[in-house]
Amino acid sequence: MYKKPVINRVDFSLSSKYGSPVKSQKVKSEIDGIKIEELVKEFGSPLFVFSESKIKETYEKFKEAFESRYPEVQFFWSYKTNYLNAICKVFHKLGSKAEVVSEFEYDKARRNGIDGRDIIFNGPHKTKEALRKAVKEGAKIHIDHWWEIKDLEEIAEELGVEIPVAIRCNMDTGVYPQWSRFGFNIDNGEAYDAIKRIFEGKKLFLIGLHTHVGTFMLSANAYYVAAKKLTELKNKVEADFGFEIEYIDMGGGFASKNRLKGIYQPPEVIVPTPDDYAEAITSAIFETNKGKLPKLYLETGRALIDEAGYLITSVFAYKRLADGKKSYILDAGVNLLYTYFWYNFEVFLTKRYDNLTEPAQLNGPLCMNIDVIAENIQLPPLNRGDILTIWPVGAYNVTQWMQFIEYRPRVLLIDLDKNVRIIREKEDLDYVIEKETE
Amino acid sequence: MKREIFFKPYAAILFLPKRAGVLLFLLSFYLPSVGILGFVAIISTIIFAHFTSTKEEYLKNGFYLYNSLLVGMGIGYFYDVSLVTVFLSAFFAIFTYLLSFFLNKVFSMFYLPILSLPFGIVSIIFYLSSYKYHELFSNLVNRNLVFDINFDIFNFFKSFGTIFFLPYSVAGILMFLLVLVYSRILAFLGVIGFLVGIFIHSLIVGKLTLGFFDFNFILIAMALGGVFLIPYWKNYLMALIGVILSVFLIDAFEVFGNLYNLPVYTLPFNIIVILFVMLLGSLGYKYFNYSIKETPEKSLHEFLSNFFRFKTSEIKIHLPFSGKWSVYQAFDGKYTHKGKWKYAYDFVKVKNGKMYEGEGNFLEDYYAFGESVLSPVNGYVVAIRYDLPDNPIGIVDRENNWGNYIIIKSDYGYFVEISHLMQYSIPVKIGDYVKVGDIIGKCGNSGYSPMPHIHIQVQKYAVLGSETLPFLFEEYIKDKKLYYYSLPKENEEIEATILDKGMKNRVSFILDEVYKYKSDDEEIKFVVKMNSRGEFYFCDGENKLFFYLKEKMFYFYGYEGKNSFLKELFKIVPRIPLINKEVEYSDFVPLDVKLNGLKRYLVEFLLPFDFKRFFKEDFYKKEKLKVSCKYGEVGFSFYHKGFSYIKIGEKIYRRFDEEVC
Repeated sequence: MYKKPVINRVDFSLSSKYGSPVKSQKVKSEIDGIKIEELVKEFGSPLFVFSESKIKETYEKFKEAFESRYPEVQFFWSYKTNYLNAICKVFHKLGSKAEVVSEFEYDKARRNGIDGRDIIFNGPHKTKEALRKAVKEGAKIHIDHWWEIKDLEEIAEELGVEIPVAIRCNMDTGVYPQWSRFGFNIDNGEAYDAIKRIFEGKKLFLIGLHTHVGTFMLSANAYYVAAKKLTELKNKVEADFGFEIEYIDMGGGFASKNRLKGIYQPPEVIVPTPDDYAEAITSAIFETNKGKLPKLYLETGRALIDEAGYLITSVFAYKRLADGKKSYILDAGVNLLYTYFWYNFEVFLTKRYDNLTEPAQLNGPLCMNIDVIAENIQLPPLNRGDILTIWPVGAYNVTQWMQFIEYRPRVLLIDLDKNVRIIREKEDLDYVIEKETE
Repeated sequence: MKREIFFKPYAAILFLPKRAGVLLFLLSFYLPSVGILGFVAIISTIIFAHFTSTKEEYLKNGFYLYNSLLVGMGIGYFYDVSLVTVFLSAFFAIFTYLLSFFLNKVFSMFYLPILSLPFGIVSIIFYLSSYKYHELFSNLVNRNLVFDINFDIFNFFKSFGTIFFLPYSVAGILMFLLVLVYSRILAFLGVIGFLVGIFIHSLIVGKLTLGFFDFNFILIAMALGGVFLIPYWKNYLMALIGVILSVFLIDAFEVFGNLYNLPVYTLPFNIIVILFVMLLGSLGYKYFNYSIKETPEKSLHEFLSNFFRFKTSEIKIHLPFSGKWSVYQAFDGKYTHKGKWKYAYDFVKVKNGKMYEGEGNFLEDYYAFGESVLSPVNGYVVAIRYDLPDNPIGIVDRENNWGNYIIIKSDYGYFVEISHLMQYSIPVKIGDYVKVGDIIGKCGNSGYSPMPHIHIQVQKYAVLGSETLPFLFEEYIKDKKLYYYSLPKENEEIEATILDKGMKNRVSFILDEVYKYKSDDEEIKFVVKMNSRGEFYFCDGENKLFFYLKEKMFYFYGYEGKNSFLKELFKIVPRIPLINKEVEYSDFVPLDVKLNGLKRYLVEFLLPFDFKRFFKEDFYKKEKLKVSCKYGEVGFSFYHKGFSYIKIGEKIYRRFDEEVC
């Protein structure tokens, strides 16, 4: 298979015309004022650590960026990016409602005290039971495919109600690859047909339009195009069918300051700011909308949580590889870092080392060849027990992590008062075999 | 239209609004020959102007006609009405008109008024030529006044009347009352000018001395203190200096004129005023009246609005970023903003007292690095450099001081330069038109820059490193307060405002839109209108409220009419920031809008002695869809245009035509 050639930046501090080795060491000794070494001493290693103040700061930055341009904005916390109860509650406390993509997530959101009406139910796999429950509780159901229209119409008949719904749309926004597997296509008229079908079925009525243009979108313009097309569709269906579109949901996909593999430039250079995204989306709505302005819904997940999460890990052993590179065996590996497949993380030392740096590779504890966290970084010689902090790891990792070979570690939250709280205990054998029956 | 042209010159002689013209016209018949020959002069000038197809716009200016009028009245003052004097008046009026046109063309090059200079010159010519016309007999000995009361002690009024060739107390009193009705300031200046002139003259001569041409004192004081300069105590003194100087001029001209029996008339007034206007106008004197209104009071209100509300004469740009930034260096900064580059700002991002996260050894550690830089003006990109690397911390590029930069030529003519941008981060090209808020690059560390920051300056020319100009920032937020046309100080953290386009749409009033409001007992309606000058206003039938929409601000700036709902609206929301943020701000409501009746007259009279004491700001609060102050509040709807309700005091008017939007 053809693979696009990429250039990876390799840090050669020794030959740098400016650098002293000291300057090339990235040091992070504390999180929110709490010493990382102390955290390891008290709670062990490895550890996931989340910072509530960072969550708050990021959330407010996004909220401000959108709200100052468009007063009727509502954020829905994307459960799949991180559905630890404590994290969800932080977002709910900040004013975020919930966006879920399965019955499991739906139930979790309800359990977290979120009213059915404040949940957006997305996803391609909504069982009929789940839909029935969501309808009864007034959730905002975003239809993904024709089967779902049929299911909902049957439920409407069964319950004797008219159901307010939104549909998910996909379209060409000028980015490659085009995301077309969720919802109905706007460009080829499928979305319009689906709305016409809803109109003619007379059992459902349309109140919202949703799109999810992609993930880790590095182009704010894609959102401009998407918001424009969605608003045009709104204008059209309002005129043709008399529906009143209450809201437009622009989904998620905003990038975080993570270093994508295969992209040479650092995130500071290429990642759009919240203002850039907000400006693109709100301008498109203002320029395109006819009639009553719609509310704007956002399902931002990754961009809100990624930078608030750290993985603290310790050097368990090291060895010299055949090519001379130093290999460190850490107590955390790709079992805990699902996003490793896309990102080159930042790796911080907890203190400054005097020695010169050397090329090194970071391996995890798994007895698997793929367990590599960083292939080519410059590190000073580290000893057993030295601590490294991997960042940003807040999104997707604590949902997609695996109990594979190792137990999963503790998760901590440093709250606004700088209290360190265990929000998920480390696993043990009983937990892992709990559901086994023999 | 004709009527306006005809009566305006009468009023213009006394610096009064044209409405006063009718009365003055009637008054001129107090001495019938003055009235009749003045009338003849003005009519013949208008006919001649039509004959030469002069545009009406010229005539509306007044000064083309009032010089002719003065010449006619001047003839009427000395001679009875006869075929010859009518003939002379008509032709000398035409001559005056020609001379006025010529002088105005020349004087306007220096932005100078011609005042009644043509009249002065033509009068001299008339009197010289009249030596030859033996048919003419002066009527000085047997004048036929309509009636007169001899109030000799009231020399002031006599002198006042002389301005209209009616040196009689009754005429003077009537004219003075007319001035008093329109402008207390002018009346006051007239009195004070007269007294000072007489006093100085008498002081020098050694005894109380009155002269026929003392009305020059009155005219100079009124023209300088109330018309060409802003009514302000300093300018009052300036006017009195002018009056004192004119004492000598009058005497000199009288001595010279007596040789040939020539009148001095208004020549001293013309010379003094023109000299002062030339000096102060060219110097860009702060209290010069650049836009003369109907009355000094109106000029003063307009001046105060421009001075305190709009800072009309200053360059204003928007902030080149969004979010919160701190001032690292302001004008005359301690590091590099010196000499001809002193008008510049450096901005950095600071959190918890630090510009960076961690130890600050890497560019990425700096909060500012990579933040979007936005266009601060609407204009064309005229110069760019984008290829310089971002220096690692600790290194500066001394060869290319300015680093990667962009220079934008603002629509208003000046240039804005922004420096130290990130390598290859500029997404626009030379020749592109950029609008306020467009992304024009990212904050970097190229050039002579010790850490990532945004450097911004306004300069005279498009050349890199050209001389900088002082400027103000359009608006910014500091501690929940909105500042506009202002400058933050060093180390202050400010936040850029973000345009809420919804809010802008809500106040984008379009011609002929109708807005209807209803309170418990009253219905109100206003329509959006435009006048011939392209100014937009709300009109409720008789009153007009003028508004303007800028990049991020909507404001009212003028009001014409009586007390009304619209006047109250001006008071409640003199300006609306088009942002969605809870902020407080202050603004000045013009005093002619804020005050009524006697109190207004009193304050207007005292205002020139202390602007700040009487012209005070009011405080306003902007919330999500609401602006409130102590006079009331207005609310908006997210979904509709216009004000959704207007609350005046405790009385609330609700929109009831919201389907019209």
